[in-house]
Amino acid sequence: MLRVEHLEAGYGDVPVLKDISLNVAASETVAIIGPNGAGKSTLVAALCGLVQPRAGRILHREAEVTRMPAHQRARRGLGVVLEGRHLFGELTLRQNLTLAAAHARADAGAKPKIEDAIAEVLELFPFMRERLNDAVELMSGGEQQMVALARALLLRPEVLMLDEPSTGLAPLVVKQIMSTIGVLRSRGMSIILVEQNVALAAEVADRAYVLSVGRVVHEVAKGEWPRFLADDSLVKAYLGG
Amino acid sequence: MTGGLLLQSILTGLTNGFVYGLVGLGLAAIFRGTRIVNAMQGDFSLIGGIAAVLLLEKLQWPLAAAMAAAVLLGALAGWLVELILVRPLRKRGGTEDSYLLLTLGIAFAVSALVLYFVGRDSHALPGIGGEGIIVVGDAAIRVHSVWLIAIGLAVMLLLRLFFTRTTVGLSMMAAAIDAEGAATTGIDVALMRTLTFVLGGLVGALAGVLVGPLVTVHYEMGLLLTLKGFAAAILGGLSNPMGAIVGGITLGLVESIAIVTVSSGYKDVIAMTILIIIMIVMPQGLLGRKLRRGG
Ligand SMILES: Nc1ncnc2c1ncn2[C@@H]1O[C@H](COP(=O)(O)OP(=O)(O)O)[C@@H](O)[C@H]1O
Ligand SMILES: [Mg+2]
Repeated sequence: MLRVEHLEAGYGDVPVLKDISLNVAASETVAIIGPNGAGKSTLVAALCGLVQPRAGRILHREAEVTRMPAHQRARRGLGVVLEGRHLFGELTLRQNLTLAAAHARADAGAKPKIEDAIAEVLELFPFMRERLNDAVELMSGGEQQMVALARALLLRPEVLMLDEPSTGLAPLVVKQIMSTIGVLRSRGMSIILVEQNVALAAEVADRAYVLSVGRVVHEVAKGEWPRFLADDSLVKAYLGG
Repeated sequence: MTGGLLLQSILTGLTNGFVYGLVGLGLAAIFRGTRIVNAMQGDFSLIGGIAAVLLLEKLQWPLAAAMAAAVLLGALAGWLVELILVRPLRKRGGTEDSYLLLTLGIAFAVSALVLYFVGRDSHALPGIGGEGIIVVGDAAIRVHSVWLIAIGLAVMLLLRLFFTRTTVGLSMMAAAIDAEGAATTGIDVALMRTLTFVLGGLVGALAGVLVGPLVTVHYEMGLLLTLKGFAAAILGGLSNPMGAIVGGITLGLVESIAIVTVSSGYKDVIAMTILIIIMIVMPQGLLGRKLRRGG
């Protein structure tokens, strides 16, 4: 579904990602874990087109998207919830959702009507029904995180990338978001979950890549989570736990 | 001051105010959409005004057709300015002051081009409704001014609907509020920035064909209008394009009342003094608001 080959990227003259290779199969949930500053958010930015790679390739469904502009990637099925959410704060919830629905991926059968698409996503987030006319900047952090998730879903992504969706939120909200990710996973969406909390990542992800200073330093294969979590020295070595 | 004189200065102030407001509206829309202070906004008006004059005088087009074509030419000018000059500068990492310098340069260039090709004469543009006048009590207002105010109001309302109800308008807002959020929502941010300039050119040229019949069109009108529009936009709250109309009306009224109560020589001094006082009391402008991010 998504393949990354020897990706290098950075800001200005500063290299951040040094040599990243990974792949995500259809219907798979893959976690990206690693300490602060490892380059996880930079990787997400490169995958969704906000940071231009210096070298390497990104392939989506075997087609190269390495230099494709961000808005085209969003429209072809690479959805993202960025760190910091990047919502349209002054606009209403309805306007935020409408914008995403209007730019949804069109190749998977007929595009549903905007109202129908929004109604469908509201089933996942019933609290939003009462808040459609509120400016999203007036919502709580947890609510905004769900708005960001709903907005990404309205693009009808094949691959959904989530950059630390649980950071800074109350445990109950985190639980809610993780269970929503579980629902999406069971629907067959491919998911890339960036998470600093390893235990949380282990709950929802099939596999994981461990990032450190811009490189993949370890892979947690399918079924290897218990061994990885049990081995304190591994976790400490990679995550500085 | 007699009631008739007061009423007259209110009518004049309203008319001028809508002109300043339209120029300010374009300035504020561009500032909001691109964070660029467009020092050539008044030159879109010059382009629109001079195009209408030439179409009328040289090609004998009917007034309505000449005005409509001139407004479209303004939109085209906005598109070209963004595509040929602003966008390349952005790709090279232009800063706020470099955009200001760039647009100021374009302003002088447009003015020089008009001087070279059209000359230094002032050109009168006929008003909508000719020289017709409506008498209101002891005062009078030109039919053209009534049209100007009506069109100004209509543009304000249409733009409001455009920015809140249409996908393109909302996308322009979204791209202005959060470019990265917009791009990852499938919005072509670069295209929205271009459209912002197209809109700025269109509104600017509209202001030009509407003000032409009141003050005549000449090669130096651009910078003067930019200054008045800038004051209107700041007064209304630079990040709220609708505020520019309110700011423009305030500026127009203060000016025209200053003329009759003090003296026309001091009108700019008095107007600017009052504006400064308003800005000290309301630093965000009359309708402004702090830009806030969700969080
Ligand atoms: N916009 C930016 N400009 C310059 N450097 C950045 C920027 N964003 C991140 N960095 C740097 O890139 C490195 C990786 O950051 P990031 O990808 O955010 O890591 P993570 O998400 O794993 O915490 C850090 O050293 C950070 O300082
Ligand atoms: Mg990060």
